[in-house]
Amino acid sequence: MEVSFRKEVVLQTKGLSKKFGKRWAVRNLNISIHRGDVFSFLGPNGAGKSTTIRMILTLLMPSSGSIEIFGEDLHKNRNAVLSRVGGIVEKPDFYLYLSAYKNLEILGSMTRNLRSHEIMEVLDLVGLTSRASEKVKTFSHGMKQRLGIAQALLTKPELIILDEPTAGLDPQGMKEVRNLIKELSVESGRTIFLSTHLLSEVEQVATRMAVINRGELIAQGSVSELLDREPTDYTLQVSPYDLALEVVRKLPWVKVLSSERGQMEVHVEGGRASDLNRFLMTNDIEVASFYPHRTLEDFFLKITKGKTDL
Amino acid sequence: MKLFWFEIFKAFSRWRTYISFTVIALIVILTEVVMKLSAGEIVYRMLKPFQRDFLISGNILNAWFVTAFIMNSLHIHIPFLITLVAGDMVSSEATSGTIRFLLIRPPSRGRIITAKYLTALFYTGGLVLFFAGVCVIFGLPLFGSGDLIIHHYGKFDIAFIPESEIPLRILLAFIAAIWSMTVVASIAFLFSTLAENSIGPIIGTMAVVIVFLVLGNLPLDFFRTLKPYLFTTYMNLWQQFLSIPIPWPEIGRSAIILGLHNVSLFLIAFFVFRRKDIKS
Repeated sequence: MEVSFRKEVVLQTKGLSKKFGKRWAVRNLNISIHRGDVFSFLGPNGAGKSTTIRMILTLLMPSSGSIEIFGEDLHKNRNAVLSRVGGIVEKPDFYLYLSAYKNLEILGSMTRNLRSHEIMEVLDLVGLTSRASEKVKTFSHGMKQRLGIAQALLTKPELIILDEPTAGLDPQGMKEVRNLIKELSVESGRTIFLSTHLLSEVEQVATRMAVINRGELIAQGSVSELLDREPTDYTLQVSPYDLALEVVRKLPWVKVLSSERGQMEVHVEGGRASDLNRFLMTNDIEVASFYPHRTLEDFFLKITKGKTDL
Repeated sequence: MKLFWFEIFKAFSRWRTYISFTVIALIVILTEVVMKLSAGEIVYRMLKPFQRDFLISGNILNAWFVTAFIMNSLHIHIPFLITLVAGDMVSSEATSGTIRFLLIRPPSRGRIITAKYLTALFYTGGLVLFFAGVCVIFGLPLFGSGDLIIHHYGKFDIAFIPESEIPLRILLAFIAAIWSMTVVASIAFLFSTLAENSIGPIIGTMAVVIVFLVLGNLPLDFFRTLKPYLFTTYMNLWQQFLSIPIPWPEIGRSAIILGLHNVSLFLIAFFVFRRKDIKS
């Protein structure tokens, strides 16, 4: 039952392309997002992430290709489709001269009639209840970002599209947004399309991902499948340490780079990270942390074989 | 309808919208006070051309005359005040980025642009009616009522409109003024859909109005042939309601031409906006 539920395609682009003048911002993009996915759309600045999101949210007209959401052609059934979608595109901009509550009331009521308690609920979810009646011009960037998330969630959409939702937030704010994304996905089964250029964000919240560079799709698949397929260095905190060091040294696909009391750095062959974790646990070794040394730059250089704009 | 009320709410939540109303109140009150203080001189100048042929008595400088006098300045400041809001309707959403939130909602772009256009027209109507209200409300206590004597500039004729007919004629004149001013609002609105900031539509609209007014008034044959094609030629439609008799065929023709301008300008704005890529 769960398998068939997860296989339902919520969003699909076919040959999606956008050309500005002579430059292709997005070219022949084919991505599929399934129900319940936290789908991360990863790429460096200027890769075509926002252009794709703008096409999905009908802000830009595609030069060619099509977009299907909930199995319906977006441009033929725009109103019906968008009533089930919420989103933020780039920075959240509001009517500065109106209150947070009034902004949400106006924007949300364009989708359906909203009751006051529904507006207050989303404001509560993003921690802005006490500022509901204040004008948005008094808000910090982080508060506007949270209000942006609130407006995306306001009408309880099935598909939520978030374009760099943690941009400009402090570490605590970033953590809160990531937790919120996880909650939305796990507890309410929403499908989330998350655009980001932060690899750590992908690792923490996403289940599937697509990588885009220079407007073209480079890779698409589950996060673990894509991130672990290249050899990577990891830092492990394990206990008991001596036993762990002894068994890890016996593995031919793991090379111990350095070790101190309680912590070791290892180099693991592509696709074997989960094997290592499993191996340690079956040998009664407690793994306190298993942290990959990966940067977006490394990942891109590996995945694009050096053909990247980073 | 809901979209329209949201647009009205947004427009009237901004202080910029009230600048126009404040400016109009100041201009009208200042003009009326100055006219009251210079009443003797004004009456003398008014009657000078006719003193040898007519014997005129009564309250000549009354509220209706003052209103008609101030209305002559309609094509100077009102268009500018209209563009402040109409030219800002779409472009301000592009500048502030709120257009993204609007256009990712289910209502179609066509419905959104129509709601915005109706709001621009509503504001235009409201502004001209406010102008009328201030003229009459301040004028009547200051100058009193009476028959209206109108001398059309450049013509040797004089029209006497009895006091009983004036309120209706003034009302019709202001409705005609609203109709004229909607063309200015439509131009500003069209420019607003093309621009990403509000300055361009405001300056652009004023440039069109000023250039057309100048071209229409240049005493050269070439420009006289252009005159029927300039919308500014029909902007003084309101004056026809203070003529004797009221030239209904001419009024109808002018109203249709101005209406066609409105429809054409809105349709262009509608189609531009429907296909517009939102890159901001």
